Amino acid sequence: MVKVQTGEKILSCAKVGFKGVVSHFNDEHVACRLISMGLVPGCTVEILHKAPFGGGWYVKSDSLHIAMRIEEASCIVLR
Amino acid sequence: MESERKPISVALIGNPNCGKTSLFNYITGLQQKVGNFPGVTVDIKSAETKLPGGEVISWVDFPGLYNLYPTSRDEKMVVQSLLDTKDIYHPELICYVADVTKLEKHLLLLDQLRDMQIPLILVLNMVDLAQKENLEINATLLAKKLNIPVVSVSGRSGEGIGNLFNAIKEQIVKEQISVDVQHSGYKFSGEETNIIEELKPFFPSFTAYKRLLIAHHASWLPFISASERIHLLSILGENSFKSLPFQVREVTQRYNFFTPLISSVLKKKLIDGFTFSEKLDGLLTHRFLGLIVFLAVLTFLFQSLYIWAEWPMMLIEEGFSNFSNYVSTYLPDGWFNQFLTEGLISGLGGILVFIPQIALLFFLISVLEEIGYMARAAFLFDRIMQLFGLNGRSMVALISGGACAIPAIMSTRTIASWKERLITILVTPFISCSARIPVYTVLIGLVIPSKTVGYIFNLQGLAFLGLYLLGIFAALISALLLKWWIKSDEPSFLLLELPDYKLPVWRNVGLTVWEKVRTFTFEAGKIIIIISIALWFLANNGPDVKMEAAKKEAIRVSTERQLSQNETDNLSKAYLLEASYAGILGKTMEPIIRPLGFDWKIGIALLTSFAAREVFVGTMATIYSLGQNDDELTLRERLSVEKNPETGKPRYDLATGISLLLFYVFAMQCMSTLAVVKRETKSWKWPIIQFLGMTIIAYISSLIAFQLLS
Repeated sequence: MVKVQTGEKILSCAKVGFKGVVSHFNDEHVACRLISMGLVPGCTVEILHKAPFGGGWYVKSDSLHIAMRIEEASCIVLR
Repeated sequence: MESERKPISVALIGNPNCGKTSLFNYITGLQQKVGNFPGVTVDIKSAETKLPGGEVISWVDFPGLYNLYPTSRDEKMVVQSLLDTKDIYHPELICYVADVTKLEKHLLLLDQLRDMQIPLILVLNMVDLAQKENLEINATLLAKKLNIPVVSVSGRSGEGIGNLFNAIKEQIVKEQISVDVQHSGYKFSGEETNIIEELKPFFPSFTAYKRLLIAHHASWLPFISASERIHLLSILGENSFKSLPFQVREVTQRYNFFTPLISSVLKKKLIDGFTFSEKLDGLLTHRFLGLIVFLAVLTFLFQSLYIWAEWPMMLIEEGFSNFSNYVSTYLPDGWFNQFLTEGLISGLGGILVFIPQIALLFFLISVLEEIGYMARAAFLFDRIMQLFGLNGRSMVALISGGACAIPAIMSTRTIASWKERLITILVTPFISCSARIPVYTVLIGLVIPSKTVGYIFNLQGLAFLGLYLLGIFAALISALLLKWWIKSDEPSFLLLELPDYKLPVWRNVGLTVWEKVRTFTFEAGKIIIIISIALWFLANNGPDVKMEAAKKEAIRVSTERQLSQNETDNLSKAYLLEASYAGILGKTMEPIIRPLGFDWKIGIALLTSFAAREVFVGTMATIYSLGQNDDELTLRERLSVEKNPETGKPRYDLATGISLLLFYVFAMQCMSTLAVVKRETKSWKWPIIQFLGMTIIAYISSLIAFQLLS
């Protein structure tokens, strides 16, 4: 599921503490799910924590806190 | 008039963490029944209550979901119930529950439901929290803009429930509620309109949006017949229907529709910096400190299960044994007396003895769940557990399995993915539970010398540790194999919402504990009592001729040896057990278990261990004429002098001992666990696979160990 297209900045490349704005998603499954949870293009996203052993990402967007895997974080394209 | 009408079915639907279940618990309390969707292992809670005016409402608490494009089994069941008007849970009215503090995130599903034209009430939950956060909402304006009734409640304190009941009554009186489609946030595209038209002949009474949903879900919806499905799928193929892009377009459009609407009715104070939950997560989800906290929490959980549950368990055991003695003295001797005291009463005791552990574990788990900690634990351990096909939440089950597999297996209910849940259920019994300890104690003491190795380590202690590690190793390896073997149609997602930390609602905790204890006692309990009566029968009955002969032989031998009354009783018990059906089975089994170094005596103990592993000690004591002596030391001494009649060497040598230990580490010997697995997976398939798989692994490892060591 990890797709990296040249020139696009994706969330999974960012470090803890990073703050940015979502441009679009490069996977429709993940897109549909995230939008329904309230994470939509135009939202600010911030990486609060990363779990140990290459584990989950703790992402904040407004009042929403989502745990996601790197596969899902790599579907979030930033502006 | 109204009370004579059939109950009106009202569904509570909403996003996960919207507080729906708190509301349901507040309204229904102990009236709740746990049912399940036909044919699948998704539980659903429902309850009938009367409104103040006498109207009977049948409430259904649906699993939480984000949209009508489901990914898990639970979510699929909701969509199915909503689409199929003949479904037993199909609602006449939906109370859509939204967390008012997160309203801007919680309305997407509501907008979809509006297009299904099922009457709706929007329930703004957690108004008590909203007041604390200085959040102002204009509910009247929201109701006008959405064109549906809006009520504000708190499922936590019960505030506003009366208004909810009134709103429901108003909807019922209206009978025919029109939902204004013009107000929905979604306009179909040209392609979608075509499909909706093409599907019209199949589902003439369905709204346009419901037909569109049928198109999206044509491949799995169970109420579509096989021939219909082929037809539908070919139509979709011809129109090159692209489900995913359509979904994304739809949810985006709906989101863009209601976002400005919400900001016009909601005034929210922006919070600078980090919230309380975020600050707490700085510790609890920290990559190192978080792990330490988690291990501390689990240690506490395990210890309390081990230590605190012990005395109520002893009370239950002693209570039942006293009761059984009492009954046996006051009833005339005979078959019925034995059946009642040794079969039925001890079987009942065998069920109730698990209740302290179940209650305690679910008390702690549901407090952690209520607070919001469990989602963090799942987040922390997702990756590691993922490697083995398990879920972050499986950690809790695996650790609790160290006390008892039964509550551990019941705790897997919160794992959303069916595959991950099933694997957790199947491998948890490998973890050495407390019932194995007496067996380990006897056998390790027997075959492993108590000497110090490497200056500080006791060899027996190391053997104990080794057995525990072996169990953990077996659990993880089989999880890996099962991950590869069990197929799943669910995509693997994490995308887990981490709710804000909250104080637990004790009503919810109490109801969870009650529900778990009740299901175990009445559902798994049925199976346990049948098997324990069967085991009692096998161990206490045999062919009359043989039993009579055994009795006579015991009397003859004891007169010859001039034994005391007590010794005579013990000897006759041993002879009778040998002559019983269990004894016969043990002897029949001997050729099969001989390569493992076991004789028929161990065979009998393996059979009776099925009631509970620790029964091994009691059975061996009976066989060796020690009476009903559960003392491990006495048995160990007796076993150590037992000689093998063929070789003249000790019967319980290292080879037999290790082989037997390995057997107890791996074999599935607990009928109560199997009964719970049956209840949790809703079929006999998985407990049978589990039983065979674990027993085969046990057999092979014991075989190898014995053949190598002897």
